[in-house]
This record gives sequence, structure tokens and C-alpha cells, in this order.
Amino acid sequence: MKHYTIALAGNPNSGKTTIFNNLTGAHQKVGNWPGVTVEKKEGFLKKGDCSLKIVDLPGTYSLTPFSLEEIAARDFILYEQPDVVVCIIDAANLERSLYLAMQIMELDRPVVFALNMADLAKSKGIKIDEHKLSQLLGLPVIFTVGNRNQGTDLVVETAIEEADASPAGKKGRKVKYNREIEKCIAGLMEAIDTHLPGLVRCPVRWTAIKLLENDSKVKDLVGKLDAQGAGEVLDLAQGYRTYIEDLFQEDPEIVLTDGRYGFIAGIVKKAVSVSARKRADISRNIDFVLTNRFLGFPVFLFFIWLMFQMTFSMGAYPMEWIEKGVGLVYTLFDHVMPPSLFKSLVLDGIVTGIGSVVIFLPNILILFFCIALFEDTGYMARAAFLMDRVMHSVGLHGKSFIPMLMGFGCSVPAIMATRALENRKDRILTTLITPFMSCSARLPVYIILAGTFFGNQAGSVIFGLYLTGIVIAVLSGRLFRSTLLKGEEAPFVMELPSYRVPMLKSLVFHMWERSKMFLKKMGGVIFVGSIIIWALSSFPRDVAFSRDYSSDIEKVKNQYTMNIPHGDEELEAAIADIEKQKEQERVAKSYIGRIGRFMEPAIAPLGIDWRSGVALLTGLVAKEVVVSTMGVLYGVGENKSEALKDALRNSGMTPLTALSMMVFVLLYVPCLATVMTIWKETSGNWAMFNLFYTTAVAWTASFLVYQGGMVLGFS
Amino acid sequence: MNVIVYIGIFHNKYAKKTSGLNMSDKHESEKDQFKKLLTEQGVNEFDKRFQILDVFLKMENHVTCQDISRQLEEENMSMEPGFIAETMELLCSFGFSHRVKFDDGPIRYEHRHLGFHHDHMVCIKCGEILEFKDEALEKQQADLAAAYGFQMLRHKMEIYGLCARCQNKRDLIMSLSMAKAGETFEIRELRGGKKAHMRLTSMGLRIGDDIEVVTVQPGGQMVIASGDHRYVIGLGLAKKIMVIRADPGPADVKLLEPPGETKLLSEMKQGQEGVIVRVAGKTFLRRRLLEMGLNRGTKVYVEKYAPLKDPVEVILKGYHVSLRVEEASHITMEKVR
Repeated sequence: MKHYTIALAGNPNSGKTTIFNNLTGAHQKVGNWPGVTVEKKEGFLKKGDCSLKIVDLPGTYSLTPFSLEEIAARDFILYEQPDVVVCIIDAANLERSLYLAMQIMELDRPVVFALNMADLAKSKGIKIDEHKLSQLLGLPVIFTVGNRNQGTDLVVETAIEEADASPAGKKGRKVKYNREIEKCIAGLMEAIDTHLPGLVRCPVRWTAIKLLENDSKVKDLVGKLDAQGAGEVLDLAQGYRTYIEDLFQEDPEIVLTDGRYGFIAGIVKKAVSVSARKRADISRNIDFVLTNRFLGFPVFLFFIWLMFQMTFSMGAYPMEWIEKGVGLVYTLFDHVMPPSLFKSLVLDGIVTGIGSVVIFLPNILILFFCIALFEDTGYMARAAFLMDRVMHSVGLHGKSFIPMLMGFGCSVPAIMATRALENRKDRILTTLITPFMSCSARLPVYIILAGTFFGNQAGSVIFGLYLTGIVIAVLSGRLFRSTLLKGEEAPFVMELPSYRVPMLKSLVFHMWERSKMFLKKMGGVIFVGSIIIWALSSFPRDVAFSRDYSSDIEKVKNQYTMNIPHGDEELEAAIADIEKQKEQERVAKSYIGRIGRFMEPAIAPLGIDWRSGVALLTGLVAKEVVVSTMGVLYGVGENKSEALKDALRNSGMTPLTALSMMVFVLLYVPCLATVMTIWKETSGNWAMFNLFYTTAVAWTASFLVYQGGMVLGFS
Repeated sequence: MNVIVYIGIFHNKYAKKTSGLNMSDKHESEKDQFKKLLTEQGVNEFDKRFQILDVFLKMENHVTCQDISRQLEEENMSMEPGFIAETMELLCSFGFSHRVKFDDGPIRYEHRHLGFHHDHMVCIKCGEILEFKDEALEKQQADLAAAYGFQMLRHKMEIYGLCARCQNKRDLIMSLSMAKAGETFEIRELRGGKKAHMRLTSMGLRIGDDIEVVTVQPGGQMVIASGDHRYVIGLGLAKKIMVIRADPGPADVKLLEPPGETKLLSEMKQGQEGVIVRVAGKTFLRRRLLEMGLNRGTKVYVEKYAPLKDPVEVILKGYHVSLRVEEASHITMEKVR
């Protein structure tokens, strides 16, 4: 049994994923590349006496060390040394695809070319002479049609042949640069060989070229070598760079790029002929409508509206079922288990905690289905094309629009949707400001508070809150862009790929993989978080109550049985009332209540009392919880909004304090799930930063609202 | 793969203007003469040589032997490089072509149309070659020669410098390290820490001094002159000296051939097509553009602008790319139609 690793490389939209799915079917594993949030897909395949591991490299246009995807792809080929690299090439875009292919060939692994979408190229009148191409490149070249699964077997067989022949496998004809450049490369190679013999793990010629291109990763790599010669090699490279710059009056990178294109142009000229016959370009006709000057935006808004509707309206049904299911489990345990601390843990900690995670699942499944649909059809690029002008004014990329919009529904899938952004800085920026888009979980809080204190104006107040969120997001975006995330903005140079009919299999697969990732990652943390909050609000058990509630209940019972013979309902109400009071006091004296009291001085300037403060704390688990905690603390029990409204009115809260509270809820730390998502998608530091930043913003805004209101004479 | 060095952009309008004949007529007559002359002289392999002449006349440029060989290959007529070089020399000796050599560049050939003399300006940055003729200058040269009792038989005048486009692309204030030999500047600012400042001042270089770049050596070290003194300055120090060009003096020269009309990609309208001449901008952007296939010589068609006028969608090499208008403004186009 032979074990080979085959890497699939290619441009985005070259049909790489389709070929990968064809090859591996269901036998695949999705994870992240080490250290970066770039999806890594591996699949396994048995062919004859070979067991193959197939790795789908991220789709890139080049292998410069500018984006995470490019670094991940390059490092894999360099350090994991796959036995064969299969270059998937869009036959209709041969010239551009070959640019990446040239760079892969420079990495010195055996390479097989798969000219994919050969049928499409043919219909466009492009004729490629595969034998000539193969001969010119010194590589096996195979035509494939990914979505009809043609040619993929041959690709695998050829790849195995090449791997068998390794290390003598065909590595292709290298790009020959012009004489001066070749001189520099030769000089550098010699220097590397003499000064750092055997120390550089990468191919020497490649290292020399990258040093001439001033590649930061390679420079670091050489610089870190524990050898005296490293400095000399770097100096020499710098010398050659200045020499090239003087000679060509151009950056060496550009000179080398031009060299590659020259080489490619030569190959394309010899191997490709384009017949003048041009067929109607369907994709262009679709774009005639979808990116039309007048129709473009309405159609886009309609699609977005549809996605929103599907995600949150259609998702509402399964959410309800899940909620009921969780409720059912709750009651089941409630009946089966004897009252104990453990029961409380299971019910209020575990069941509720898991419930609060699973409840997102329908939203996430539908949302990712929609996003996969946008991406696979090619519409995502058009959306970015339409929206870029707007988003760019905030310092964002056109593609940031979709995540931010999704933020109105739920921040968790919204932040996960930022993966569509290629640039890391854009991704972080979008991630950081998305939580300011008021998510649907905050709505119940507004409804209760605004409904109680603003009566007829409630609608306007809530609308104002949403608007405030957007404004703060925009301002924060600009602030971050000019401070923390300064630096060159990613160029918007983006391919608008031809429209394609998506394959259901790949859509479903995409959706499921991402959702699974969500469940796995979020589940554990939120679960723990819920238990912590539960513990804080349930301990200590032996609260020194100010009244003896049990004897009160006994008293009331006796009163009723003695004096009012048929007042069972009233009795129950009276008992419930006392129990509510007991619960109220218990929570007040629990750890969380103590924390609430402890932080009262901090929130007093905002006009928020300690009870609302505790509610805000519990809101960390999920924003909806704010309402139910307030219910408990104001002594009305959970889920009784009318009673809560009365209680709030009597609690000394004023419209101004209510507004301050709502502004705080709008802006402060997003729920635990969101913080965890930020953590996973960016880093712990960014998550912590977000935590403090949002809280600071919330505090400041509430402070301004409350104190400003006081000054203006509202109360 | 020598694609960068001296890509000459040659405009032969001059010849068109001065000759009554149409260019292709002229070429036909040249070919007839060639046939006559060479058969008279009994030169061997006439057919192959004729093909070389044919290809050469088709190329309106200052071409090298390599260029000709490539063109021949394209037309499926590969020939020995030695044979091509020999034939080109033959063409020179029969007065059909002219041999020119700019600086250290390779030998180039241009068409020699009898009776038309012209001189050259060579841009050392982009390699553009301009042809010019100035009657006053021609006369001045003849007079000068006569004043020395010298009979002028032929002369060659080459002006090396930066073309208008390259000058415009330069910042007014720049670091000395970017300077070319022969340029003169005024020192405007000394950057870097106190130490660098002190060092320069103690050497006698002050803000406001006029300096001339004498030579630039590979590695960036340069010799500059201020007053009667020469200074050797390393690349690191040169980077810290900010200078402004001393004499941008607009010369009052009548251009016989205005440079080919260029336009920025961002200025092109929907439905227009052009060829990329130059991609500028920061390295990061430039690389990205090049990666996506927007390199010199690529034909670009402006498909449409987004509803808010930004970004723009273009078609090149058979696929669609969108880029911001700001990014498109770094791309210079020619032959815009």
C-alpha cells in the first residue's frame, strides 16, 4: 500500500471544489489551517493499491505572502511536501491561471495540470492544443469537466504515476527570466549554497527569486537561520535588488512578474487558438440586469430581503419547535427529578444552556445555505460590486455589507459570514462593528422598556435605537480604520466570475460543514458560560432571608383554610406572591446580586439601578435573558410582561433611565456566543478588546443620554 | 525574455507629414528598389532576405535583431539569428535601414527613408524614444561646423532624459536616493534623526543648497556635487535628503510628434477599449493588478460602471474584473477607442 498526498491548487472559481468533491465524495474532513481562519479541506481516496490523501488548497490568484490563503497554500506545498500538486486551471482563462501555475512550478514539486471547464472554453471558441501545452511546460496536461466528472480519474491516475516517479517526477519547465535577472538569481543561488549549505529547506532557486522579490516571509526565514552567512545573503539580495531597480527603473517584483507574463504569453500564443466565432455570453446578459444602473440596487435589495426573510421568518418555525422541545425536556426532568441542587443545575444550567445554543441552528443553517448560494452562483461578487461605493466610505469592503446586515438578525452567523472577506483587516473590522447592529434578541428588551415608558412613541424610540447602532458602527469603523487597523486597504481588484448553476450537493455540504463547526465550537463555551451564570445566581444556598417565607406561606394557608373555604385560586396566587418575593430576595442576596450591588456605583451615573445591572449581567448569556431577569428581580416572576410593565413603572424608573438602559443594552458587550465567535474568527485579544470597547462605548453613550437628559430637565 | 528594456514607442507621423506619399506606397517602392538592387548585386538567398525586409518594414519601431527574429517566428518563418543580423547589416549598407545604438542598449534598426533626417530623445526611465527635428538646430549645427572650417557629412544627436510623462509621475519633492545622474536639485529637507542631520550639516550640506548628482553607482551609493565639492553619499543617507528639482524649465521646443495620446483607465467611458501602457501605484496594489492580469500591453474593455459610479467593471483576457475608480486611476491606457 502506497500513501500519497495530492494537493489541489488553483484560482478561485476554477472549479477546484467541484473536482475535490468528485474525487473524495463524502470522505472528507473540514478544519482550519493551523493558526489562521482559512478553511482546510482534506479528503481520502483509494485507487488501486494507493491510498491518497487529497488536500484542497485555498483558491488564490498568486502565491505572494499578502493574504492568509496564499500563505497557507504556499506553506503547505513548501513544508508538507505533497507528492504531487494538481493545478486546476480554468481553460477559458488560461493566461491568468497560468500565472499561479508558474509560481507553483517554481516550488519544485511534481505538478499535473488539469484544464478544467474544457467544455466552456470550447463553447467560447478557445482551442487548446494539450500536447503542445504539455510539451512546452514539460508537464502532463489533462482536460477535465468538473461538474460532469469527466477526466478526474485520469488526473488521479496521472498524479499517481508522477508520484511513483518521484523524485524524478515532472516538475515542469521553469520560467526563464531575462539575462540580467538570471544573472542575479544565479549569483544569489551560489551565495546561498556557499554561505548556507543545506540550511534552507526550500528550493534554492525559489528562495533566490523570493529574496529578489523582497518576500517578507522568506527574508525572515533566512534571517532567522543560525548562520553567519544569513546576513551576507540578505545584503547581497538587497544589492541585486538595487541593481535591478537601477537597470529597469522598476521594482524587481514587477520586473519578475512581467517576466512570468512574458513566458506565459509565449506559451499561450503557441498552444491556444481562438476562433472568432463568438456566442452570446449568457453571464453578461444576466449582469445586464443584475448590475444594471437602475435595476441593480432594487434586485439586490430584494435578494437581501429574501435572505433575511428566509433566515428569520422561515427559521422561526424550527426555532419554535426547538424551543418547545427544550421546554419539553425541561418539564420532563422537572417531573422526574426530585428537587435538589443537582436538578437546578441540570434544568437551569445545562438544559437552558444547551437550548440557548441549539436555538440558533435553524438560522445558521438557512443563512449559510443562502450565502453558499450567493457564492456558488457568483452573485456575491456582484453584491460587493454594487455596494462597494457605500461601504468604502466607511473604510470597508463591498463584501462587508452582507455580514453587517445579518447583524440585525443575529451577530453569531453574521460574524461567521465575514469569512467571505479575503483581507484579514477587513474581516476584523467588520467583525468588530457588526455587534453594534442591533440584533433581534435585543428587541424584547426594547419592547418592554419603550412600551412601558414611551407609549405611542415606542416605535420611534426603537427605530432611533437601531439608527444609533448604525451610526456608532460607522463611527467605530472609521475610528478603527484610522487607528488600530490602519494601513493599506486591500485593493478591490476582484474577479466577477461567470454565473454558474450551483450544485445542490455542494451547497448542502457547505451549509452543513459550517453549521457543524458552529455547534462544536460555540457549544462548549456557551454551555460553560451558562453554568457559571447559573451558579452565580443560585449560590450561596443558605441565604439569610429577612423574613421567614415558609412560615408566611403556612400562615396564609391556615388563614385561607380557616376563613375562606373556597378560595383555592386566591390561595395559590397568594402563595405564588410570597414565593416570588422569596425568589426576589434570594437572587438579590446571591453572588450575582452581590456583584450587582457591588457595581452599582459604576452604573449609578447612568441612572441604572442594581437590579437592571444584574439583568444586564445575565444578558451576557443571551440578550433575551435581560427581560426574564428583570422579571425575577422586580418581583413579577418570569414571562409576565404586563405585570413587569407595572412593576417597572412602580420601581422608580423614569423614561430617561429607561432610555439610558436601552442605549446600554444596544451597545454593551454582545452575548457570550458572539464574543466566542469573535474569538474563534479573529483572536482572543480582539475578543477582549471588543468586550471592553463595547462596554466603554455603551457606558459613555448611556452617561451622555442620562446626564444630558438631566441637564435638559427631563427626568 | 527581454521585454522590459527600452520598449520604444515610435510615432512615424513625421514621415507621413513630410512625404507626399502614403506610407505603404513608400514601403512598396522600397521593396521594389531592394529587389532591383540586390538582384543586380547578385546577393544570395534573396527570398529569405526579402522576407526579413518585409517584416522589418512592417514594424514601425526601433527594433533589435531579436525583435525581428520573434516577428518572423510569429509568421512561421524561423531564421538563424546570424543570418538575420547579417541581412540587417546588408540593409544598412544598401541604405534601407539605419543603425542606432542608445547608451548601453542593444543595436537597433530603424527605417531609413531617403532625404529625411531626424534626431532622437531617449527617456531613461520608460525607454520611450522620441524622434524630433528642429530646423534651427540643424542650421546651427551646420553653421557651427562651417565656422570651424569643418564640412559636416553626417551627425547624430541623442538627448537622454525623462519624458514628460515620467516627469509628471514623479513627486516634486523626492528623496535624493531616487535621483538620476545628471539631475540638479535644491535640498529641501533633511530627514532622519539628529545624528544624520548633524552628519550632513558637518559635511557642509545645508537646506537650500543646490546640488548636482554626478554619478550613481550600483548599490545606490552616489557622488553629488555642491559648489566645488564632491560628496560621496550612501543609499541610507541619500534616502534622508529630500530634494526638489532645480530646473523644471519648460523648454520651448516644437514637438514634431506629440507623444501618443494616453488616458487613465478611470477616465475611460463605458464601452471604450484601450491598451495598458503603464501600471503605477503602490507595490501592493500593483502586484494585485498584475496578478489579475492587468499588465502592460493587455487590451481592456470597459464593460460598465456600478450604479454609484464606482467601482468599474472591465473585461480583459476574456474575463471580468471589477476595480475601484481610484485604483483604475493608476493605470495608463493608450489607443483608447
